[in-house]
Amino acid sequence: MKISDADYQFSVTATPDLEDDTADIHYVPAPCQVACPIGTDAPSYIAYIWEGKNEEALEAITATNPFSAICGRVCDAPCEPACRRADSDGAIAIRNLKRYVLDSLGPGFALPPVAVTREQTVGIVGAGPAGLTAAHDLAEAGYEVHVYEATDKLGGMMFWGIPRFRLPEEAVQQDIDRMTAHCPGIKIHTNTALGDQVSLDQLKQQHAAVLLSIGAFVGKPMGIPGESEPFVKDGVGFLYHVNAGARPTLPETVLVIGGGDVAMDACRVAKRLPGVKHVKVIYRRDYEAMPARREELQGAIDEGIEIVYNTQPVEVIDGKALRCVRTEMGEPDEDGRRRPINIAGSEHEIECGLVIAAVGQKAECDELAQSGLMDWDRVKTRLEGMVTEDAKVFAAGDGAFGGSTIVEAMYQGHRAAYYMKAYLEGNENPLPYRTPYRTRHVPICNDPAWEINPRVHQKFHGLGEIPIEFPEIESTYTADEAKFEAARCFRCDAETGSADYTVTSREAIFAMSRINPQDAEIESSILQGRLENRDNPFGIEHVATLDDLVFLPANLSRLVIDPYREDCKTATELGAINSLKLEIPFVVAGMDLAPDEIREAYATAIVAHGAAYIGAKPIGDDASWIQIAETEADTAADAVVFRGGQAIEASKVERARDSQPVGLLVDNHNLAQAIPFALEQEIDFLVLDAGDGLPGIEAELAGAPDISILHHAVSQLRALNREEDIDLVYFGGLRTGTDSAKILALGATAVIIGVAAALSLGADISSGSPLYDADLDAEERAERSYNLLQAFNAEAAMMARCTGKTNVHNLEPEDLRAITLTVSHAAGVPMAGSLNQH
Amino acid sequence: MVTIDLSHTSITDANQQIRDWARDGQDVEIINPDARHNIGVGLVDPITVRIKGSAGYFCGGLSDSAHYEIEHNAGWAVGDNIYKGSVVVGGNAGAIAGVAIRGAEIVVRGNMGSRAGQVMKAGTLCCGGNAAFMAGYMMYGGRIIILGDAAEKVGQDMSAGEIFVGGNIKSLGNDTMIVDMEAHERDEIMAFLERYKLNYRGDFTKVVNAGKKLRYANAEPRSRPQPFFVSSKSSNYWNPKVQEDIWIKGEVGRYRIRGYGASKPVPHLNDIAFAKDVSGVAARPEELKDINLKTTVGGRFGAKPLSLSMPVMIAPMSFGALSRSVKIALARASRLSGISENTGEGGMLDEQRAEADQLIFQCLSGRLGWNVKDMQRADAIEIYISQGAKPGLGGQLMAKKVTPELAAIRGIPVGIDLRSPSRHPDVLGADDLVIKLQEFREATFHKVPIGIKMGAGRVNDDIKIAYKDGFDFVELDGLQGSTGAASTEVLENVGIPTLSGVQEAIDGLAEIDAGDDMDLVMMGGIKDGVDVVKMLALGADCTSVGTSAIIAGGCIACMQCHVGTCPVGIATQDPEHEARYDIDRQSMNMHRYFESLRWQIAAITKALGYDDVHKVNRGDLVALTPEAADITGLPFRPEHRETRRPLTGLELLDRQAG
Repeated sequence: MKISDADYQFSVTATPDLEDDTADIHYVPAPCQVACPIGTDAPSYIAYIWEGKNEEALEAITATNPFSAICGRVCDAPCEPACRRADSDGAIAIRNLKRYVLDSLGPGFALPPVAVTREQTVGIVGAGPAGLTAAHDLAEAGYEVHVYEATDKLGGMMFWGIPRFRLPEEAVQQDIDRMTAHCPGIKIHTNTALGDQVSLDQLKQQHAAVLLSIGAFVGKPMGIPGESEPFVKDGVGFLYHVNAGARPTLPETVLVIGGGDVAMDACRVAKRLPGVKHVKVIYRRDYEAMPARREELQGAIDEGIEIVYNTQPVEVIDGKALRCVRTEMGEPDEDGRRRPINIAGSEHEIECGLVIAAVGQKAECDELAQSGLMDWDRVKTRLEGMVTEDAKVFAAGDGAFGGSTIVEAMYQGHRAAYYMKAYLEGNENPLPYRTPYRTRHVPICNDPAWEINPRVHQKFHGLGEIPIEFPEIESTYTADEAKFEAARCFRCDAETGSADYTVTSREAIFAMSRINPQDAEIESSILQGRLENRDNPFGIEHVATLDDLVFLPANLSRLVIDPYREDCKTATELGAINSLKLEIPFVVAGMDLAPDEIREAYATAIVAHGAAYIGAKPIGDDASWIQIAETEADTAADAVVFRGGQAIEASKVERARDSQPVGLLVDNHNLAQAIPFALEQEIDFLVLDAGDGLPGIEAELAGAPDISILHHAVSQLRALNREEDIDLVYFGGLRTGTDSAKILALGATAVIIGVAAALSLGADISSGSPLYDADLDAEERAERSYNLLQAFNAEAAMMARCTGKTNVHNLEPEDLRAITLTVSHAAGVPMAGSLNQH
Repeated sequence: MVTIDLSHTSITDANQQIRDWARDGQDVEIINPDARHNIGVGLVDPITVRIKGSAGYFCGGLSDSAHYEIEHNAGWAVGDNIYKGSVVVGGNAGAIAGVAIRGAEIVVRGNMGSRAGQVMKAGTLCCGGNAAFMAGYMMYGGRIIILGDAAEKVGQDMSAGEIFVGGNIKSLGNDTMIVDMEAHERDEIMAFLERYKLNYRGDFTKVVNAGKKLRYANAEPRSRPQPFFVSSKSSNYWNPKVQEDIWIKGEVGRYRIRGYGASKPVPHLNDIAFAKDVSGVAARPEELKDINLKTTVGGRFGAKPLSLSMPVMIAPMSFGALSRSVKIALARASRLSGISENTGEGGMLDEQRAEADQLIFQCLSGRLGWNVKDMQRADAIEIYISQGAKPGLGGQLMAKKVTPELAAIRGIPVGIDLRSPSRHPDVLGADDLVIKLQEFREATFHKVPIGIKMGAGRVNDDIKIAYKDGFDFVELDGLQGSTGAASTEVLENVGIPTLSGVQEAIDGLAEIDAGDDMDLVMMGGIKDGVDVVKMLALGADCTSVGTSAIIAGGCIACMQCHVGTCPVGIATQDPEHEARYDIDRQSMNMHRYFESLRWQIAAITKALGYDDVHKVNRGDLVALTPEAADITGLPFRPEHRETRRPLTGLELLDRQAG
C-alpha cells in the first residue's frame, strides 16, 4: 500500500508550521518533488550538481531525508516516472544523481548535534525507516527518543530486507551514523523486542508518547495446497537469512512467486547462491501490471533470470514442482488493477527444487494483539493523526499500513512525528499534515546541450566476478557524467523567462489540460486561481525606464523597411553650427581610467565604426574625441564639452580653434539655466547627463537613469521654438541599441554608452565600478568591442526600419508609445491605446 | 473556343464561366479585357485563355495547369504564384511579373517591370526585352532569362536559382556573383526560347547567389533564459540578464534571437477585474449547456463564416516553427473542440487538413507553401501583414529547422537561415491590398472569409484601412504574442500590448462608424477563459490562443524554440526530437484544455448574469491599475482587487494530480 499526499485530501487553505516555500508565486513544486512522498527538493540538488556545488546539493538532499545514502541506491524513486522528461527521452536519473552526491561527500558529512531541550521522552518500537525518521524529527524538536529494536542492527528492512549487492552495509551505516551523531538525544536499545524484553505498559509508563513502527517481517502464505517448509520458503525470511550472512547452497532450479520488489530481490539473491542454475519468477499478471520497479526487473532479466508472466500457482508438489495455471487479464478490479483470470485447462507443472513465495508481508506482535491494538495483520491506526486506539500510542510504517517503500515509510515517520509533537504540546486539533516543499532558488543551469543530452546510464555490473560475495551491481556517475545528466533537468520548479507565461501560469495551463473537464469542482477551483489578479507590476515604487516605451511598427498605414535586407542610414552630424561627423550615432564613455588594453580595444572599434569617444583625455590617436574640458579646450579634440555649471558661471565658453564644435555638459539641476545660455552662446550641442557622472560611469552603474532630462530639454527648446538650433547627446543607462533608438526618437542626435561598453569586455560591476580582468586576449577584446558597437548600431537601425524609416535620425517621438504612466510622464510620450493620446 | 466579353461581364462572372468551360475542356477567348484585374484567377484545370487586349493586376494568378496568352500588355504580378501552366505576354509586363511562381513558364515578349520573379520558387520567367531594377529579388529558386538589359541590383538577396542576362547588367544585387554558364544550361535555354519563338543567338551572363548572407555569420551561443526581471526596479537595472545580453552581443555582433513573446511585464488583462464577484462558481457542465458560446467569424460579405463552438481559435503557427506532429495534434484538438486551426506561414499539411474541420490558410510575404489548391480547400484565408511578436520582421526559421521535407513544402533551398521578407511583394499600400483581396476572393469563389492578421501598432489607423479595404475579419495580435524565432529587441520593444490593441481597434472602428460587421479576433497572451471573457467584454468578437495551446500540449516554456532541438519535440524538425511528441496524448491534453476554457467562459458568463457570452460588455469590467484604466477608459477601482492569497503552485499541481 502506498500512501502519500497525492491520495490524501489535504486542506489547501492552511499550511502547517513547516518549512515550506509554496506561497512563493515564482515557485511551483516540480512534478518529481510532488511525487516524492517526502518532497525532496530534487530540482535544486540537480542544479547544484551541475554547478559543481555538491555540498549544497547534499544539504538539499538530506533536509528531509535521513537515509539519503540508502535512497541514492535503492529508493523506489517515484520521482523518476513523474519527471516531465520521462515522456521525452527519459527521466532525469534523479536517484543516481543523489547517490553520486552521497558517494562523493556523504561519509564525511556531519550535521551539527541537536541538544535535548524537553523533559518529555518518546519511545519508538522498531528501528526501520519509519521509526528512525520519526525519531530523527522528534530529536530535532528537542525530545529524548528511545528506540527499541528487536534485532541487533538498525535499519529495519533497509538492513534485513535488501540484499547487499544493491545496498552495501556501509551505505546503511553511513546514514545511521550521521543520524545518531546529529541526534544525540536518540537512545538505542537493540535486542529489545516488544513483548519479550519490554512491554507496552512499560513503554507507556516511561514515555510521554509511544510510536509503534514494528515493520512487516512475516511473509504471507500463498494459500495453496502443499505449501510448507522446507520446500517453500517465504521471501522476507529468505532475505533476512541471507542478510544475516548465510550463503546456503540451493537446488538447481528456484522459483520465486510474486511481482514486487521482494520478489525481485529474492530472485537475484537466489541467482547468486551456490548450486543455483535457473531462477524463474512466476507472476500472475502481465508485464504492465507488475509492481516491481522497472530498473530492478531489468536488472533481474539482465542477470539471466526468467520472468514467467500470467501464471498462477495452484498447488505445491513437495520436492518436485509447482503446479500452475495460465491466466489472462480481466476487467479492472475495485482497486483499478486488472484481475487475472485462470484459463481453464491450462494447468501445467514447473519443475523446481525450491519455491520462494514473495507474495506480501504482514506484521505480527502478540503483545499488541493482546492489547487490542492490532487489526488482523496490522497495527490499527488511521492516516489522520497516525494514532492508535490508545491516544498515547501512535503507529507508522509497514506494520501499520502494509508493505511499502522506504520513502513512503519515511513519509509516515515524518507524519507520525508531526502528530506526536502536536500531542506532546497539547495541541488536540493540529492542522492536517502535508509534505512541505522547498526550493533553494538555484539558477537554471546554462548548459548548451541540455536539450539533446540523452540519459546517462550508470555502469551495470550484474552478478560480478564472484557473485556469492554480492558485489554492488552498479557504480554511480563520474563528476562529468553527473554534470551531463544534471544538465538535462527541465527545472519545472523554476520561474520562466516570461512575465506573461510565468511558472504559475504555465502550471495552471498544464492543470487545465490534465483534468476531467466535466468535473465542476476541479474546474471551479482552477477558475478561482485564474480569477486572482496579479499585483500591479508598475506600482508605487516603479521607476520610469526605457523598457516602458515601445515602438509602433509599420503595418498598413506605413510601409515597413525590411530589417533583414534593406539599408538604413546611421551617419550622424553632431553640432548645430559646427559639427562633428560620425558614421554611427554612438559615443563611448568611461574609459579614461581603464587599463590600456581596454582603451586600445575600444579605440580601434571607435575608429572602425566611425564613432567617437567622450572623456577628459583621448582614447587613441585616430579615434574621434569629444573632450570634457576641466579648464580649457584642447586643439587636438574633435569637439569640446564644458561643464554647464562652470561655463554659466564664467559666462563664456572658449574653443581651442575655430570651427571646433563645442558643447555643454548638463544635468537635470542646471538644464533650465543652461539652455538659454547655450542658445545665446551658439553652443553646438548639449550633453545631457542622466546619470550625473561623466566622464566616469560609476554613477551610471548606480541604477536606472532619470530619462526625463531629455524630455525636459526638448520641451524647453520647443517652447522657445529653437529645436533646430542645438543638438542633444544623451548619456545614462543605455543597455541596447534599442534603448539608444528610443533616445534618438525622443530627440537626441547621438547617444553615449558607458557601462554597456565595459560589460562587453567582461567588466565585473559588482563593486560599483567596472573591474576588468585578463581573461580575454587582445584579439578577443578587439572583436568584442567592435561587435558591441556593431550590434547596437544594427539594433537601432532595426527599430527604425520596423517603424518604416530608412534613417535612424528620422525616428521621432510619434514612433513611440508608453506602456506605463510613469514613463509617459517622464518621456512625454502618450500611452499606447489610450484615448488620451489623441 | 468560347468568347467572353468583359465589356458586359463582371470579373467574378467571367472567372466562373472560364472555370466552367475549363472543366468542359473548352478554351476561352476574352474580348474587351480593358486591363481589368484578376482575369483568369483561380483556374486549376488545363485550359488556354486568350486575352485579346491588355490585362490588369494578377492576370492568371493563383492558378495551376492553365495557359494564358495576353495579346498586349499585362499589369503587375502577372502569373502570380502559378504552379504548372504558362503565361505569354505579347507586350510589356508591369512590376513583379512571375511573382512567387512555383513551376510556371512566364514569357514577356516586351520589357518587364521591377522586381520580376520576386520570391519565385521554381519555373522560368523569360523576358524578351529589358528588365527593370531588382530582377530576381529574393528569389528562392527557378530560372529567369532576360534577353535584353537588366537594370540595377540583379538578383538582390536571392537565395537560390539562376538569372541569365543577355544584355548589359547595370549592377548586381547584394550577395550575388557571376559564374560561368554550363553548356547544358545554354541548350535548355535555347530550347525554351525556340518553344516560345523568341529569336536570340547572343551570349548570357549567369548570376547566382554568392552564399554570404544565407546563414548568420557566427552562431549565437545557446543559453537558457534567466527568470524575467521587472528590470525597471532601480536596484536591478544592470541585472544578470542585461549583463549576459551585452556579453553575448559582444561575441556575435548582432541582435539575439529566441522564441516566445515579450518577456517583460506589460499592462494586460490581469490588471482588469470583473465588476461583479464571479468567484465561487461551481456549475456542473449541464447547468452551463444553455449558455450560448457559439461564435461565427467572417460573414461580413456573405462568405460562409467560420462556425466556432466558442469564441476561441487556434492561433496561426507554422509547420516549420513547430513539428509536423504538433500541427497534427493541434488540428485534431481543434476538431474535437469545435474550433479552428490555422496553418501559419509554412503551408498546409494533408494530415492537418484531414484532422481539422475548420482550417485557416495563411498567406505570408514569402509565399512559402502558398498555393491555389490549398486555398481552395481552406475554410478561411488570412493575409499576414505582421504579428505581435515581431511586427516589421518577416518570419524567421533557423537552418537547423529547414529540413529537406520542410524546404520542399515551402519551395526553398535546404539549410538556409530563412528570413522571410517583411513586406508582401504585391502589397505596397492599402490600394494594392484591395486588389490582392479581390484576387483571393476570385481564387476562392467568394465563398470563404478572408481576414487580415496584424501585430498591434498604429491600430487606430490600420484597423480603419482593414475595414475599408473590405476584410471579413481582423486577427489582431499584441506585443505579448509569441513566435518561434525573432530578434529579442523586436520581441520586447516593437508593438503595443494586447490590451492597448483591442482598445485602439474598438475606438478606431467607432470613429468611422464601422458598426460590428467586421469581426475582431484578439490574440497575444490569452491564457484562460477569464482572459477570453474579458477580451469579449472589451469589444473583441473572438480570441485566439497559440502559446497556451502549445503549453497545454507539453511545452515547458524554455523559450528556446529557435534552436531546433526542442526537448519535448514541439519546436523541432529533428526526427529524433520529434519522436518525443506523442500526438494522441498531447492532442487530448489540448482538447481538455479547450474544454476547460469552455467551462470557464460559460461559468463566468453565467455568473455575470448572461445567457450568451456575446452579451458581456464593458460594464462588466473595472480597471485595477492606473495603466489599465488609462488604456481602456474603464473605471479605476483598485479597491476591487481581491486580497485573498493567490493559489499557490502546489495547489495548482494538486489540481493537476486530482
